[in-house]
Amino acid sequence: MAAGFKTADLLEYYRRFLKENCRPDGRVLLEFRPTTLNIGSISTADGSALVKVGNTTIICGIKAELATPTVEAPGKGYIVPNVDLPPLCSSRFRPGPPGEPAQACSQFIADLIESSEIIQTDDLCVERGKLCWVLYCDLMCLDYDGNLRDACVIALLAALKNTQLPEAVISTETHLPVVDLEKRHGLKVCKHPVASSFCIFDESTLIVDPTDEEENLSTARITVVTEEGDRLCAVHKPGGMSLSGQKLQECINRATVRQKEIQKLTDKVLSSVKTS
Amino acid sequence: MMAAVEVSEAEKVYILHGIRDDLRVDGRGCEDYRHMEIETDVVSNTDGSAKVTLGHTVVLVGIKTEIGKPRPMVPNEGYLEFFVDCSANATPEFEGRGGEELGTELSNTLYRVFNNKHSIDLKRLCISPGEHCWVLYVDVLLLQCDGNLYDAMSIAIKAALFNTKIPKVFISSDDEGGKDIELSDDPYDCMRLNVENVPCIVTLCKVGHRHIVDATLQEKACSVASLIMSVTHKGTVTCTRKVGGGSLDPESIFEMTEAGKRVGKALHAPLMKLLEQEESLGKKQQKVGFFG
Amino acid sequence: MPTDTKRVRGPDVSQSPSLFVCQPADGVSPQGPRADGRRRDQVDVRPVFVRCGLVSQAKGSAYIEAGNTKLMCCVYGPRETERKDETDMKCGRLTTDMRFAPFSCPERGSWIQGSQEKDFSTMLQESLQPAVCLHKYPRSQIEVNMMVLENSGSVLAHAITCASLALADAGIEMYDLVLGCSLRQNGASYVADPTSAEENDRGPDQSRNQGSLTVAFLPSLNQISGLQSDGEMSEDTLTAGVRTCIEGCYKLYPLVQQVLSRCVSRAACAPPPR
Repeated sequence: MAAGFKTADLLEYYRRFLKENCRPDGRVLLEFRPTTLNIGSISTADGSALVKVGNTTIICGIKAELATPTVEAPGKGYIVPNVDLPPLCSSRFRPGPPGEPAQACSQFIADLIESSEIIQTDDLCVERGKLCWVLYCDLMCLDYDGNLRDACVIALLAALKNTQLPEAVISTETHLPVVDLEKRHGLKVCKHPVASSFCIFDESTLIVDPTDEEENLSTARITVVTEEGDRLCAVHKPGGMSLSGQKLQECINRATVRQKEIQKLTDKVLSSVKTS
Repeated sequence: MMAAVEVSEAEKVYILHGIRDDLRVDGRGCEDYRHMEIETDVVSNTDGSAKVTLGHTVVLVGIKTEIGKPRPMVPNEGYLEFFVDCSANATPEFEGRGGEELGTELSNTLYRVFNNKHSIDLKRLCISPGEHCWVLYVDVLLLQCDGNLYDAMSIAIKAALFNTKIPKVFISSDDEGGKDIELSDDPYDCMRLNVENVPCIVTLCKVGHRHIVDATLQEKACSVASLIMSVTHKGTVTCTRKVGGGSLDPESIFEMTEAGKRVGKALHAPLMKLLEQEESLGKKQQKVGFFG
Repeated sequence: MPTDTKRVRGPDVSQSPSLFVCQPADGVSPQGPRADGRRRDQVDVRPVFVRCGLVSQAKGSAYIEAGNTKLMCCVYGPRETERKDETDMKCGRLTTDMRFAPFSCPERGSWIQGSQEKDFSTMLQESLQPAVCLHKYPRSQIEVNMMVLENSGSVLAHAITCASLALADAGIEMYDLVLGCSLRQNGASYVADPTSAEENDRGPDQSRNQGSLTVAFLPSLNQISGLQSDGEMSEDTLTAGVRTCIEGCYKLYPLVQQVLSRCVSRAACAPPPR
C-alpha cells in the first residue's frame, strides 16, 4: 500500500512524513546518515580516503607530481581537485566529459581550497621559481545517493591529512630534481573545513543531508561550510526558494556541531591508521 | 562488429558440411590460404609501403618515419603508432561510428602484436636516449574487405616494414653543449629494419567441429568464435586473442593453437623470399599498377 | 592536446616523481619465493575478498579485492538500446566500459579514456558475452561499468570475475559464471595471478618464453570465453599456461559461488527494496 502511494505521488508521500518530523528512511529532520571513513587504503596513491555517507560513496586519491611554478607565483605549488561522476555511480550519468553537477562540485571544492587555505601552497614549493609539487586530488563517486558535496569535502580532507610527499631537492651538480621515495613527510593541513548541506521542502521545512530523492523534490538547497572554532567558512546557495535569517542561523548551528563530529571522526581514523 | 554478410540456414548447412569433409566452397582445404599477391614500394611519398591482396581482401600499408621524443618509461627505445582506416569504400558498414570503432579495435590489437621488443629491435630506433627517437607511423588502409583482415594486415605490415628506409642521422654537439641532429646528405644512405622476427597473424575460425584459416565472409558468418594468433618464423607465439561472441572448449583451443603455429610458421619463409626477390629487382621491376 | 575546459586544470606539464629517483628500484628476483610469500610454478593465487550488491543505485554490483588489486563493477539495465542502427534487434547488446581511476596506477592516469582502457573494455566484453543469454533481452542493452580503484596486477582477470558476479547480482540470465585467471611466464618458470611488479618484470633472460596470459573460463560448461596473451611463448608453454589458468579459475569457483548464494539468500529474506 505504502509502496503504491509512494509511486503515485512521491511529494505527498514525503510531506506526510515531514509533517511528523521524520523522514522515510527513519531519520529526524536534522539528522545525518551514518558516516564511515576509511583512510589510506589505496597504496598506489600518495594519500587516499573512502567516505560513505549513507549510500553515497566517494573515494579520493591524491597523486603528487613535479612541475615548474607559474611566473606570477614562483613560490607556490598547485592543488588540482576534480570530481568525477562516472556512469558506474548512477544510471543518470553517461560516459564522456563531466556534466554540470560534476563541474559545479569540482569548482566548489577548488574555491574552498583556494579561499579557506586548507594548505599553504608555499609548503608545496621545492625551489622557488624552479620546482614545486602539484597535488592532483581526484574525487570519484562510486554510489550516488545525494549530498555529493559533504562527502567530497570529508574525503578530500581525510586524504590530504593522509598524504605523504616524497623528499625532493634540486641537485646542485646536474640541476635536475632528485627524489627519494623512501623518505616521506606529511602535509601541513592548517584548517579542517566541513560542509553540511540542507534542503528546503515547501518553503519551510529544513532537512539536512538529503538523499538523491530528497534533493530532486526539494525547492532549494544550501551548503554551509564551517571550520574549527565555530568559524563560518563558506555558504553556497544557488538560487531556489528564499530563506529567512532565522533558518540560516539554524543551518549554521547544525553545521558547527557537524564540523566537530567529522573532525573527531577523521582524527580518530587517522590515528588508528598510524598505529596499525 | 566486423563487416558481415547474411547467410541463410541452407547456405550455412552447405558450408558446414563442406568444412566437415575438408572441402570448402571455393575448393580449398581447411588450412589453405586464398591466392595472395604482395607488392612493395607502392606509395612513393611514404618511407615504406606494401599492398596485399588476399582473395578479395585488399589492404594497403604506408609507413612514415618521424623524429619524436621517447616515452618517459623507456627512454632508450623508439616506438610504432598504428592507425587503421576502415574506409566506407571497403564495405558500406564501415560508414560512421561502426568503422571508427572497428578501426580503434584493430589498431589496438596491431599495437599489441608489433610494438614490442620481440618483433622489432626498438632500441635501434633510438637516436639519443631520452631526447630523440624514430617514431614509425603505420597507416593501414582497408580497400576491400572479404574476411581475414588481420592476416592480410599483418603480412602487409611486415612487407612494409621490410621496405621501410629510415634516413641516417648524426648527432653533433655545438660549442655550448647543445645537441643538433643532422640528416645524411645521401638519400640512399639509410637504415633498414630487421624484420626477421616480425610475426604474422593467423586467424583461426571455429566452424562446426573444425577450424579453418583465412575464412571468407560467408564462412565467418557460420563461426561463433575465432582465435587470433601472431606467430614468428621460429614458430613462437607472441600474441593470442579470442574474438567473437562465442566460447570455445579447451581442447579445441589447444588444437587451434597447434594448427596456428604450424600455419603461421610456414608463412614466413616464402614471404621473406618473395620480398628479397622483389627488392633485388629494384627499380627495374614492372609495376602492375595500383589496382593491377 | 585538446584543452579540457570542463575540469579544473593544473599546470600544462607535470612529471611523476618516480622519474627522478636517484637509485632504480630493485627488480623482482626471478628465483626463490615471491615478494608476497607465494610459491612459483604453483597455482598459488591471491586470496580474494568479494562482495555483491554494494551500490544502491545499480541493478547489480560487485567488488573484488585480490592483494592490492581493487575493482568495482556496476551493472545497469536491461534498458532500451541506444543504438537504433543495429540491424539485428532479436538479440540484446552487452556494453562494457572499463576505466582506471587516475590514482590507480603508479603513474597518474588521465581522466580521458585511453586506448589501453578501450582495449580492456573490448576484451571484457568478448569474455562476458558468451555467458549472457542475450536472446532473452531483445531490443535492449545491458551496461557493465568497471572501475579499477587500484591496479596491483591481473586486473583483466579479476575484472572478468567481478563483472560476471555483478551481472548475476543484477539478475541477468546467464548460462554460467565467468571466472578469470592470469599468469606470467618467465623462462621456464611461471607465476600465477601476478602482481604488477611481477607483470612488468623483464627478467634477466630476455629472449625466450616470456609473456602474460589471461583466460576467462565458464566452469560448469568447461568453455573458454576469453583468451589473451602477450610476449613470446612457445606453443607448448601457451597450452600449459591455459591449463594452469583453468586450474586457477577452479580454485576461485567455490568462493565465488558461496558469495553469490549468500547474496541471493539475503535478497530473498530481506523485504523487497524500495
